[in-house]
Amino acid sequence: MATVYNWQLGRKMDYPYMDSRPQKQFTAVFNINRCIACQTCTMADKSTWTYSRGQEFMWWNNVETKPYGGYPQFWDHKILKILWDQGKNPMEWFTSAEDKDEKKAPYGYYGGDTIFELAITKELKQIAVGYIPTDKEWRFPNIYEDTAASEKTNIETKLAKEFSELPEHQRWYFYLQRLCNHCTYPACVAACPRRAIYKRKEDGIVLIDQKRCRGYRKCVEQCPYKKPMYRGETRVSEKCIACYPRVEGKDPITKGRRMETRCMTACVGKIRLNGLMTGDPDNPDPKNPMDFLIRIHKVALPLYPQFGTEPNIYYIPPRWAPRGYLRQMFGPGVDEAIEKYSAPSRELLAVFQLFRTTQTMISRFEIKYGKKVHETLVNGKVFELYDDTVIGYAEDGVELVRINVEEPTWESSEERMITY
Amino acid sequence: MLKKILWKSVVIAGVVAALLLSYNNKTFSQGAEEPAAKEENIPTKEPLIIKYLHLDANSADKAFEQAAPLNIKLQKQDKAFPQGGGSIKAIKIRGFHNGETIFFKLTWDDAVKNERVIKHEQFRDAVAMMFPLDLVTISPKTPFSPRMGDRGRPVNLWHWKADWEKELHLAGRFEHVEAEYINMFDDFHDNPNAVPVQNDLYSSTQFISGGRAAGTLLAKPDRGRSVEDLNAIGFGTLTSQTHQDVKGKGNWAAGKWNVVIYRPLTTPDKNDVQFVPGMRTFFNVAVWNGAQGDTNGQKSISIRWHPLTLERVKYQQQ
Repeated sequence: MATVYNWQLGRKMDYPYMDSRPQKQFTAVFNINRCIACQTCTMADKSTWTYSRGQEFMWWNNVETKPYGGYPQFWDHKILKILWDQGKNPMEWFTSAEDKDEKKAPYGYYGGDTIFELAITKELKQIAVGYIPTDKEWRFPNIYEDTAASEKTNIETKLAKEFSELPEHQRWYFYLQRLCNHCTYPACVAACPRRAIYKRKEDGIVLIDQKRCRGYRKCVEQCPYKKPMYRGETRVSEKCIACYPRVEGKDPITKGRRMETRCMTACVGKIRLNGLMTGDPDNPDPKNPMDFLIRIHKVALPLYPQFGTEPNIYYIPPRWAPRGYLRQMFGPGVDEAIEKYSAPSRELLAVFQLFRTTQTMISRFEIKYGKKVHETLVNGKVFELYDDTVIGYAEDGVELVRINVEEPTWESSEERMITY
Repeated sequence: MLKKILWKSVVIAGVVAALLLSYNNKTFSQGAEEPAAKEENIPTKEPLIIKYLHLDANSADKAFEQAAPLNIKLQKQDKAFPQGGGSIKAIKIRGFHNGETIFFKLTWDDAVKNERVIKHEQFRDAVAMMFPLDLVTISPKTPFSPRMGDRGRPVNLWHWKADWEKELHLAGRFEHVEAEYINMFDDFHDNPNAVPVQNDLYSSTQFISGGRAAGTLLAKPDRGRSVEDLNAIGFGTLTSQTHQDVKGKGNWAAGKWNVVIYRPLTTPDKNDVQFVPGMRTFFNVAVWNGAQGDTNGQKSISIRWHPLTLERVKYQQQ
């Protein structure tokens, strides 16, 4: 085992391979607050990559209803249970000021076992603790759709008179959009005894070599997010490929520039922004929208950071779900993220406008400050809205989008109101 | 003074080098096998004698009756990650050659037949024989890993698979997913291929068919054989050959697998072990029990090499 640094945990951890970060990291930010679970992303992915025989159950991208839903069923309940029942100090975070460091430990220090560390202490025949889901668990892509957790299951909060009160409902559910996290320390890469899985140095995309794979299903077993899947028809395993031809700029539409993946560009709710993060986590680029949202502003959080794989799909947590549940899912950064999201700063609000304005990956943004247009109270504090302009640039410096915070509105003339 | 500094730097450099070496060794945990015990490099005494018999493949059953069996004890693979197996305790091997082809018959007890790997939780029954690729002497002084070979010491492996055997005798020579999920198209009692567009979709799938498009033999329909011809130079390096030469046939009856593996004594492939009547080489064997989830390094093995002797061809007066 080598020792690697995981900034999401704020500490070093054990991993079978030495630290070798990619030059740039494929990443995405999902705003859970805006998702309507239309599954357009899911179908975009399905119709592009997984429509063939043996892939019937394969949903490289899926949207599930939390807290009950999951694909495969109860994937997170099961892995959390393993960590909870067997691990040392499960879910233990130290978040005092001295445990935090802007660059090295933005969320504080995680004291518990990761899936890799638990496997070592338990001396299992696994690199990372895990299990192979059964057929039954792969059957329903969105089981318990729109099923709310009642106040009985909500341990943290008491029964309320008003059920629709924000920020936290008494009855709640939210949608979780999932795909391969293209982790910095992938458990699938670690688990493969043949090194058939690799993480690309240029963009951090994790791929299974279809020629090298022999269908041992170690990746299926040990990926905590259960995103590699075994394809019965070809007897080898497959996983999300991050639409790598598009990311490489092979699609003619973007004229050789990097393009966002199918699931991202198809997003109807405009919840997704896809891009490449700076490879060096110690030096985030404040002008890169990904680095800005994740590292500078810390409004987007990793999914189950305590697993220890340093996942690279980041989520803006939902405002209405109980904080305890969210902290378990996204780590201790939840409160700060929701606070920042509820009353966004001028910069953050401007960057939010970039979501789903172009198919080309935005690698840099600029803000031109405008005049104040609105003032209101948010959580008892004054919130001022400015009509700033945000400009998104491609990697080669070409301007891709220019959009204002205040959406332009037009009023139709009287004649146009006539209906026939 | 200078001497002191020089001496110090030598010591520090030595310590750093030692640390680096030990650290490097630990880096690749999967390569981190347990070091070979001395006994692993001592082949067993009793050889498997490959009898010369003037018989062909059709009378192989008769031939094996004349060949003396070698019983090999098997154990759990506990030498390298991921450890496992051990549910198969012993295997019986017989062999003969007819001057052109070498035949092996492997027999072991397995209560459950596992010959399908379509579901996530399905694993196959399999058996493999391993030979040093070149002519070698094996002793503690000239070690040769009995596990999966080693860097600079390649091995040739013949891997018989129960699912390949089954597919060999099926119409279409391949088991598609609908063999496991027989009602997969029947949700609405429709014929999935009734509409031409679906036919087009189905016929085009091979081009976007992951493993099949990549050309892996595991995904290929109509392989024409049940034994895969492979090479390895250590754990994790197993690689299928581009030129497949080994064939086999197996049947399961009354809780027992009987598998025959055969190949021409010599082949034009430089990655194949070559047999010459009269020669002596070594072999090793491993068995996978699909019912126990055996796959990869999780297998029942023999930890020592076994000698293999080929009888000379006896020319008979007609």
